[in-house]
Amino acid sequence: MSATTVRPSAAPRDLSVGAPVAGDEIAWRPSTTGIAARVAVLALGLGALGVLPLIVAPLTRNVLATTAVYGMVAISLNVLVGYTGQVSLGHSAFLGVGAFGAGFVLTQLALPWFAAVVVAVALGIAIAGLLGVVALRVRGLYLALVTLALAVFAERVLFGIEPLTGGGGGQTAVRPTWASADLAYAYVCFGGLALAWLLDWRLTASKAGRAIRALRDSERVAASWGIDVTRYKLLAFVTSGAIAGLAGALFASITEIVSPITFNFMLSLSFLMMVVVGGIGSRIGVVLGAALYTALPYLLDAADGRYRWFPVDGSASQVVGALLLLLVLVRFPGGLAQLSAPLIRWCSFKPARARRTGATPTAGGGNDVRP
Amino acid sequence: MSAPTTDRPAALEAEVAVPATGDGPDDRPGLSERLSVSAAEHRVGIAWSVAIVVLAAAMIAAGMDVGAMLVNGLGAGAIYAMVALGIALVYRATRVLNFAQGELGTMPAFIVVLILLGGDLEGFVDPAQVSFGRLLALAGLAVVIGAVLAVAVNLFVIQRLADSSPVTSLVATAGVALLLIGVQVVAFDLQSRTFPQFFSGSVHLLGLRFPSHTLVVASVLVVASVLLVGLFRTQLGVALLASAQDPFAAELHGVSARAMSSLAWGIAGGLAALGGVLGAGVFEGITPGLMTSTFLIPAFTAAVLGGISSPAGAVVGGLLLGQVSAAANTATVGLGISVPNAPTLAAFVVLLLVMAFRPLGLLGKEA
Repeated sequence: MSATTVRPSAAPRDLSVGAPVAGDEIAWRPSTTGIAARVAVLALGLGALGVLPLIVAPLTRNVLATTAVYGMVAISLNVLVGYTGQVSLGHSAFLGVGAFGAGFVLTQLALPWFAAVVVAVALGIAIAGLLGVVALRVRGLYLALVTLALAVFAERVLFGIEPLTGGGGGQTAVRPTWASADLAYAYVCFGGLALAWLLDWRLTASKAGRAIRALRDSERVAASWGIDVTRYKLLAFVTSGAIAGLAGALFASITEIVSPITFNFMLSLSFLMMVVVGGIGSRIGVVLGAALYTALPYLLDAADGRYRWFPVDGSASQVVGALLLLLVLVRFPGGLAQLSAPLIRWCSFKPARARRTGATPTAGGGNDVRP
Repeated sequence: MSAPTTDRPAALEAEVAVPATGDGPDDRPGLSERLSVSAAEHRVGIAWSVAIVVLAAAMIAAGMDVGAMLVNGLGAGAIYAMVALGIALVYRATRVLNFAQGELGTMPAFIVVLILLGGDLEGFVDPAQVSFGRLLALAGLAVVIGAVLAVAVNLFVIQRLADSSPVTSLVATAGVALLLIGVQVVAFDLQSRTFPQFFSGSVHLLGLRFPSHTLVVASVLVVASVLLVGLFRTQLGVALLASAQDPFAAELHGVSARAMSSLAWGIAGGLAALGGVLGAGVFEGITPGLMTSTFLIPAFTAAVLGGISSPAGAVVGGLLLGQVSAAANTATVGLGISVPNAPTLAAFVVLLLVMAFRPLGLLGKEA
């Protein structure tokens, strides 16, 4: 490719003053044993993840399904927080809209499960698109406030409309007949997570993903390079909404009943904690964060049951979670992704140490996409 | 000190000199000047006033109890204003949108009820048995606890994140709120406790029936506002405002920005504690996370409505939002429309309208 045809949005991201020519990283290859070791570790890890629903206690399978769904929400929130740099406190509303949409289609309209999923995704896209239009006007703290108000509005007004959501009693949402067992449904949720992962990966690897990240760093500069600000900003919100809507449809059928009280605006704060503790902008980090926060009460309960010296049980999970968040913010701004960066880089066939350290990631700006 | 170095501070000072902080309060524009508005704004104001009068007339004509509505609006609005005042102060001083403002109030309220009940949370306290002096002492204690908590949050979290974006700080204060709620859940269990409403009963004034609690809340708000206005006239208050406006220039004049941020947080914490004790009194009960789930979001809306960095705007916004919520409630009940949680809906609509048409808020000068 001749240098003159490289569009800015398509330029390699490591291109900077003093850095070696782009493509240097691609030239690096681990040795044959190195490749074998990496493949073995990856296969083991993925295999362990795959059989996890089989080997855990039957009652824990729903916890795994919830973890997968929260992982999807974390990926969805990361699209906004990590790539566009805008904080959303409205993801409980996104999730709830998807869940209630699916419940309505399944119970009131008695349509098949796939129709419910389609409707949930469409509703997620619609609400996120609306928020995206708002985000074209206000950003930063003000946008955070609007999303927060949206979450509260959805929780207390929208989800309380009896004919649509069943009011306080909630809406039933039966599982598809081919996945009515807990085990099968856990695999369905894992599939959803894989789908969200794939979507996020393709987004970040494409021109659109680079354009969105360029908008985060400076809208004016991005616009001057010919990036359509409106289009790509809306695209980011729509992608986020689609993933959250899908997550909502899957979430609805975990307990097979959707009630408004679940989609408390505090849930949005939990999602934000998952993303920040996991590592803003890092796909694997936010999923790890989601897993950590979903499992935390169960882990604490288990530890409390096993060891006598363990001071707290599951009821303290919020204290532990919040302390973790503050610790990460003050001491380790990159979160779990930063802490496990060497391992992740090793697994993704890259040199164990990053060649060039970028800016420190923060909740507002965030680093570029990390593996 | 050699000659060249003595020149430097003077040069720097000239560069960053802030006119308003020059000679204390006398240099600031008078009240009438600050409230002066352009002709266009004047017309908008008149249009709004007419609209409000027409609306009120329509509500009276429809047989709704507008008097009771005003009283209800005052009761809720005064607490919104108190919480919003703290949010505005903290925002002005440290550019942080404080998500923990509600919980800084619930925590002291819990401790107050714990002391009242002598450590036994299952019990019940008769408000008539508590002497007025003890009540004042408890309120003072709550204010101190709230202030200490807030200063600790500022020193251990906010100041360490001073270089990061405002959104990071927002996430951090949300973490503090979750931490405080978590501590309450662990210490007091996730269930409702009765909280005594001191001064129950009601008073007839101007032909309206005011619950005594509403009058107490309103007078506490008035006293707090007067004290704050008084503070801003002292040298300490001017230093606080100067530090909020330009920390660097203020430091050149010998004002410690760190101490001033702690002062702002401390005042906000005290206000939060008052809001917590009075807010729990409204519900005559207290649960972990009470203030966050009930008053925080309206308070944010009120602060934005009034202009987020303006303490005066926060009070105005809070009182206005209280009236809007009460009006929404009265109107939906009166017309027989079943909207779940009409006040929340009204607050959301108000926030969207402010964002769309006047992002600086009613009294705001800078975003």
